Amino acid sequence: MNFIDARQVPSGTVLRPDLAIIGGGPAGISLALALANMQIKMLLLEGGGMEFDSATQALYAGTETGVHYIPLDATRMRYLGGSTNHWGGWSRPLNESDFEKRDWIPYSGWPFPRSEIEPYYPRAQALIEGGPFLYDGLADGKLPGDLLPLGKGGLYTSFFQFSQWRGNPDHLPTAFGKRYAQDLKRIPNLQLMLNANVAGLRLAEDVRWLDHLDVATLSGVKFTVKPRHTVLACGGIENARLLLASNDRAPAGVGNSEGLVGRFFADHAIPRSTATLVVFGGKIAGFYKTNLNARGTHFRATLAPTEEFKRKRRLLDSLITMDQRTELDELGRAAVATTSAALGIDASNAKAYALGCGLELTPDPYRRVTLTGERDVLGMPRLKLNMTISDHDFASYRQTLVELGRQLLASKAGMLRLDRKSRAEWLGVLDWGNHHLGTTRMHQDPKQGVVDANLQVHGLANLFVAGSSVFPTYGASNPTLNLVALTLRLADHLKGVFR
Amino acid sequence: MSARPNRRAMLMVGAGLGALMLGAGGYEAWRLFGRHYPPTPYDDLLSQLTDREAARKIGSAYSASHPEFSARSAAHLLRSRIRANDLRPALLTEIADNSVIEAGHWVMPESLVLLCAIAAKT
Repeated sequence: MNFIDARQVPSGTVLRPDLAIIGGGPAGISLALALANMQIKMLLLEGGGMEFDSATQALYAGTETGVHYIPLDATRMRYLGGSTNHWGGWSRPLNESDFEKRDWIPYSGWPFPRSEIEPYYPRAQALIEGGPFLYDGLADGKLPGDLLPLGKGGLYTSFFQFSQWRGNPDHLPTAFGKRYAQDLKRIPNLQLMLNANVAGLRLAEDVRWLDHLDVATLSGVKFTVKPRHTVLACGGIENARLLLASNDRAPAGVGNSEGLVGRFFADHAIPRSTATLVVFGGKIAGFYKTNLNARGTHFRATLAPTEEFKRKRRLLDSLITMDQRTELDELGRAAVATTSAALGIDASNAKAYALGCGLELTPDPYRRVTLTGERDVLGMPRLKLNMTISDHDFASYRQTLVELGRQLLASKAGMLRLDRKSRAEWLGVLDWGNHHLGTTRMHQDPKQGVVDANLQVHGLANLFVAGSSVFPTYGASNPTLNLVALTLRLADHLKGVFR
Repeated sequence: MSARPNRRAMLMVGAGLGALMLGAGGYEAWRLFGRHYPPTPYDDLLSQLTDREAARKIGSAYSASHPEFSARSAAHLLRSRIRANDLRPALLTEIADNSVIEAGHWVMPESLVLLCAIAAKT
């Protein structure tokens, strides 16, 4: 049994692993599994236990300002498995353009192209249990229904696949903690410590080396971990908190000499009922409306802008989902009658659907988490999140919707109404994806990023960051599959470090 | 030779009278119950609308957000775009050329919206 409850560790203990992994979410667990065969002593420190605990969860509480956002203690989960304990399983690789420097998006671009993490996608897909890696390749084979005909243009049918926990009777997405607990227990060189909250990253005197970690439990135990190398994998909000709060030797916090830690926070905006799509013929394949099982995977269709369209129109990424049926008002019926008649189409069986979406945000240094004067029961400063979203981001998505409307007319398949225009209208239907991105952004230049292309914190030889907090730009795809792939790449890098 | 009209001729006359009565009845019903519009300078364009009342709703929504709209200018533009009875191919060309605009938040071909707006002004 290599699972240890930190509350049973005597205070004052000093542990000396080769590698400490802070955080037992999808990144931390994927990393431990990927390094299972290495001859190194690994210690995975998870702040929670095996199940939800309200006292532990309360350590996440903070404040939110600016645009309405989900409370910081509700948007993530602090127990083994992390945010996979409440995810929906939606998975899709990032697009090539998501990695590129797009001159119309400030601060955009990863330090490497998608081809750098491409080889890791199949293994990441296996870990999330998403079935065969098909995604947009689904359109090339047999599907239980026809693709929505769209005229030539900027949008196409793109596919999500869903994580599905094998053998789980409720068909839930894979919760990494429970799903991989037995696999983790079989790793002989791994100790997994539950209820072990890292309360400080302590630098050596020259501030170029991480010397040790302060660990505390809610029961009052305090001990020290002195790893050779450390990977911070606490999620996009907590990674920044731990770096900022560890400010005894580096006054601005660890890795924050350029003041970048905590900045560029992002999530995917998910405004509801953004548009109404009318299908003149009334029939649309079920996989647009819900996730279906075929070809060994659960999948669902979305409507996505092509790479060419985004580049030509200088737009952000987005994914459009078809949600619930809706009824047309008098003006809507008039629009459908007039347009279908003019195009010579019978729309007597027309049906209307509300559209949802996931939007990429423009990177914004003022959308950030900062420390407050308030502290949690372990003495860690709590966070304040300043959330923003620009009118430009809404306008970019609106252009994508207009193009979808044009393509529907071109194919005589249907038409579209844009349901939101003013900022107040957008904000009134705004929700978020619980995807915490960007707070320890990756860039080769230490003045523009917290970590380098190998996810090593600039200026600290033995501290790395895993997870979506390193994404410098975000795309519209949900992050879990992508962060797992990126973590597997980090594992390969660490294998080289330890050899 | 018999003076009796032959049966076939009688039937033809009867059928003709019946058709005439039906036509007259239909015309009377249309005159009494159908929508009539006074002549306008734009009837050559408006005749291409199948449902003028539905079109007027769209047109009103458009002109509400475009107070500068002028039926005369729009008609001039439309006549240059649409030759008689050629609305459908003209619309498809417009759609392919990105000439779509919003009317009451609906994305529609520009010429169709302008036609609707003319209908709303008459």
